[in-house]
Amino acid sequence: MNDGSGRIGVHDLTKQFGAVTAVAGLGFTVEPGGVTGFLGPNGSGKTTTLRMILGLVAPTSGEARINGARFAELDAPGRVVGAVLEAQGFHPTRSGRAHLRVAAAALGVPDRRVDEVLGLVGLADAGGRAVGGWSLGMKQRLALATALLGDPQVLVLDEPANGLDPEGIAWLREFLRGFARQGRTVLVSSHLLAEVEQGVDHLVVIDAGRCVFQGGLEQLRGTGPARVLVRCPDPVRLAQALAAAGVVEIDTLPDGRLGVGGVDAARVGDVALAAGVAVHGLVEERVDLEQMFLQLVSGVRR
Amino acid sequence: MTVLGSTLRAEWRRVATTRLWWALLIPVAVLAVLVNLFGGLLGAGVGDTGGDFPVLPASVAFTLTLTVVFAAVYGTVTAAGEFRHRTVTTAYLAAGGRGRVLVGKLVAGACVGALYALVAVLVGVAVGLLGQGTGRVSGAETLVGVAAVGITVAALWGAIGAAVGVLFANQVGALVVLLVYLQVGELVLAAVLNNSGSDALARLTPYLPGNSGDVAIYDFPARALAGPGFADRIVEQLAGVTAPPPWWGALSVLGGWAALAAVLAWTVGDRRDVT
Repeated sequence: MNDGSGRIGVHDLTKQFGAVTAVAGLGFTVEPGGVTGFLGPNGSGKTTTLRMILGLVAPTSGEARINGARFAELDAPGRVVGAVLEAQGFHPTRSGRAHLRVAAAALGVPDRRVDEVLGLVGLADAGGRAVGGWSLGMKQRLALATALLGDPQVLVLDEPANGLDPEGIAWLREFLRGFARQGRTVLVSSHLLAEVEQGVDHLVVIDAGRCVFQGGLEQLRGTGPARVLVRCPDPVRLAQALAAAGVVEIDTLPDGRLGVGGVDAARVGDVALAAGVAVHGLVEERVDLEQMFLQLVSGVRR
Repeated sequence: MTVLGSTLRAEWRRVATTRLWWALLIPVAVLAVLVNLFGGLLGAGVGDTGGDFPVLPASVAFTLTLTVVFAAVYGTVTAAGEFRHRTVTTAYLAAGGRGRVLVGKLVAGACVGALYALVAVLVGVAVGLLGQGTGRVSGAETLVGVAAVGITVAALWGAIGAAVGVLFANQVGALVVLLVYLQVGELVLAAVLNNSGSDALARLTPYLPGNSGDVAIYDFPARALAGPGFADRIVEQLAGVTAPPPWWGALSVLGGWAALAAVLAWTVGDRRDVT
């Protein structure tokens, strides 16, 4: 069973470990052709959700589908979904190439694919050495190589940037964008917005096992308070002029500046000019996505 | 390529790229040398009396009952190792069904177990003949029977070991449970049953998992040594059981235990959350 859509659908997914509810009625969809960031603080249920999508953890209720099928119903799951789940999943005395050859045999892909993926992730020279002596970053690359063996349509990655150096993170970001540009699906989790901010097209933000935001990055910025910060020698007159012009969201900041909401900088400048008030500085406050993210996951909005 | 073919090819590569299989083969070979050198010397001694006394099949049989433990340990350590090293995640994702991974583990355990028994027989016979100082094997048919049954028993124990490994998913825990049961637990259980005063309970002893394999292995040499009339007595003494069935009966019982272990491993392994 496989509709070939490349879509991941999570519906009302719940998982309880004993008395602990790790995931609570979670629902979201991941579309192909873009990179979807799966964000949430540590312990918010990201890993459990990804493992339920991959059939490794059984949901208490609800379901997750890839290409319209539960993971267990996929005919050749290794060729539909590739997953990077943890850096530790290797036998320490087995070489990287041997690890890949085991997976290649299980997937039924030819052995030359092993060297292809080793080259792809930059491990061609290290492939013959035992994985026990590898750095975390190298293990992450090997995990990615394993995920890519079956040339999958969907890629699921759990905190793949862990252990990678900045160069490696930049490389991974470009790789995932290129992968998605081929019309494939990428779902990548992180607990740091900054880590995925530059590389993702869509966001799913969860907190305490629930979805608190789903949409594009711009949409997330749009939900934040956009303000114009004005420095002027006579804030009271400017405030009166703005109020007369119908602008009501006006705060006085501790440094004496005015924070004006619901308008852009040009409008504030025009009102000041019409009222004859001098303006010494006019700044559009940049919405800090990290701040937005923190507000989302702490459940408080300013 | 068939699904089973991919599964077994992957499993073969798993076995061949780790050192455990030959690390455990070494003590098997050493035991085969020690036990059969003694058996061979004994055979040379009794051979002098002019009788056709098949000591070698008996010492090979004893070697095989010891080898079985290594087969079981291999199966357990390698199967539970997938969980310890967390390679089971990759195995489950690639295989398309946990049942396939389990079948691969059972087959790998059985094959390596059979290999251990084969090496034990070959080394045992070679050393035994050296000890005897003659090239003549007394009781060659008995020896072939012992070898065939011993290889089957070791294969079954390799598979049981693998099932225990998947069942517990904890390498140390599974190994302790396996060894404590085989080396202590079953001895105590058999002693309790034998001394319970109830004939029916005592008669259960040859059907315990460890005993059923030993009974099957000892059946051939016991018959050759003592003849059909007293063979059961000898098996009773060697395996510590009451009223043993013939080798094929004991082997069937062990097959039943292996099937039970596989079903338990499948039932538990299929529902387990791999976190």
